[in-house]
Amino acid sequence: MNASQHSSTLSAIHAKGVVRRFGDKVAVAGMDLDVGPGITGLLGPNGSGKSTFLRCLYGVTRPDAGEIVVGGARLVGDGVAVRLQAAYAPGEIALYGELRADEHLQWFLRGRESNAWQRALEYAQRLELPLRKRVRTYSHGMKRQLMLCAALAPQVPVRILDEPTEGLDPSKRGAVLQLLQEDAARGTAILLSSHHLGEVDRVCARLVFVQAGRIIANETAATVRERAARLVRLSFASTVAEDSVKQTLQSLGGATLSSMVVEDQLRVSAQVAGEPREWLARALALPALPAPTTIEHGRLSLAELYRELYGVEGC
Amino acid sequence: MLREYRFAWWGMLAWFIVLEALLVGAILFWPSFEENIDALRDMAPMDSLKGMIDQLEVGGVIAYVNGQHFFKGCNTVGTLAAVVFAMNVVAGEAQRGTLEILLARPMSRRRVLTERWIAGALATIVPVFVSTHSIPWLMSYIDEDMAHWPLFLSAIHQSLLLLMLYALTFALSCAGSRPLVIGFGMLLFMLAEFSIYLVQTLTHWSLFRLTDIDAFAYIGATHSLEWTKVVPMAVAVVVLFELSQRLYARR
Repeated sequence: MNASQHSSTLSAIHAKGVVRRFGDKVAVAGMDLDVGPGITGLLGPNGSGKSTFLRCLYGVTRPDAGEIVVGGARLVGDGVAVRLQAAYAPGEIALYGELRADEHLQWFLRGRESNAWQRALEYAQRLELPLRKRVRTYSHGMKRQLMLCAALAPQVPVRILDEPTEGLDPSKRGAVLQLLQEDAARGTAILLSSHHLGEVDRVCARLVFVQAGRIIANETAATVRERAARLVRLSFASTVAEDSVKQTLQSLGGATLSSMVVEDQLRVSAQVAGEPREWLARALALPALPAPTTIEHGRLSLAELYRELYGVEGC
Repeated sequence: MLREYRFAWWGMLAWFIVLEALLVGAILFWPSFEENIDALRDMAPMDSLKGMIDQLEVGGVIAYVNGQHFFKGCNTVGTLAAVVFAMNVVAGEAQRGTLEILLARPMSRRRVLTERWIAGALATIVPVFVSTHSIPWLMSYIDEDMAHWPLFLSAIHQSLLLLMLYALTFALSCAGSRPLVIGFGMLLFMLAEFSIYLVQTLTHWSLFRLTDIDAFAYIGATHSLEWTKVVPMAVAVVVLFELSQRLYARR
């Protein structure tokens, strides 16, 4: 058994070299990903290819190239084997408004095991959804929750959720994330996407960052948080020479520097190898360094971290 | 009832009521038609229509009922029904954005599409069979009689044409995402086909030649299907069904 086969056997989701084009546009440009039990966040700005990749994994959209195994089922033909091993909640909400919510849940669950319906009712009750109402009377957030009930109800090893918390108010978002954590604790592998990092990062054990159809980072959440803790950001007035500041800080060593001009301010970010406070104290003691207007350390959000690390806006 | 079948069920009921109403009106009108056939021939604006009235005069009440029920009722309202039942099946889902949730259920695409195809096909042809079956009973009100067997064969023959139009619209729906364009396109096509039928030099190119008074006269005379017409229609239905599956699989 080679490494690839071993990996695909162990992973709840195994994707290798997945490509999907729409005409000239390459939406997914060769993504490789292995996902195990627990919650994995697929993160990236709008249009980065997250949703297309998730659709490819679930067999809703056919990939042009690549290998996909979900819950032990290989994606072949129209992907029904994959869909029997996984549940999916799409990112775009388009439902049959003329159906009652309970009828729609039944419609969703056609082809699933018989007790999935009972579990869907329990989830709907926890989320306080009025199931006797027509779906057209539902708000955007309620429709999202209805789709989540349908995606959480089947007993499958894998759930693929596209933007599961989009459009939810903070309390419902918390309730949904709680449901996902409970499900993951039972050993389910959950791959969810979001373009808003702050919404989901607290429940993800692993974060995968996507940009322009490619995975540019795949790290455990703990590693990301540790990197965030070692990031120091100094802002200077725009009159300060960027090269001069960077040269001065580089003379200290022990940090990887990046810089950008944002809102008339020069921002220099330092990913410090050692103890960040010590490095910061030494930096501020440098006589050649102009006085910074702000100093940020230990309070950067993950979104800001990704922006600093990968230069990607939009999360 | 599942959503897929709700529309087919109510649509089938509406189509049956319209067809039966046309049939009742036509049969009850026969004595008056027979009495005034010469005047009606004089009023006909085209030679092809005069020819049709000649055929009805020769064929009598059986030709008249066949013409009214199959050639007029089924070919006009039936065409409309076939197009309406098929045009939304996939294109409508694509337009309203629900195609993704349809594809996301754990069922094969072939099964989903086959179920929908059958539901629409039954909605299209069941009213033809049921209303055709009521013809002998309705004829008793005008003291006429008609055998069940040739009527049953005529219903099969007519249903194949409607299924062919249904299957063509269905295939277009599997490829497209604008059901109204598909629907109007098909209806324009059928209008063109009917216009061709009325032009003597072009009439053989019209699809309606397959189900005109001559076709049903043959069934009435021989008590058997006209295989040279039935087989190509059946083959076309099967080919279009398979084409639909392939088009749907590519979405």
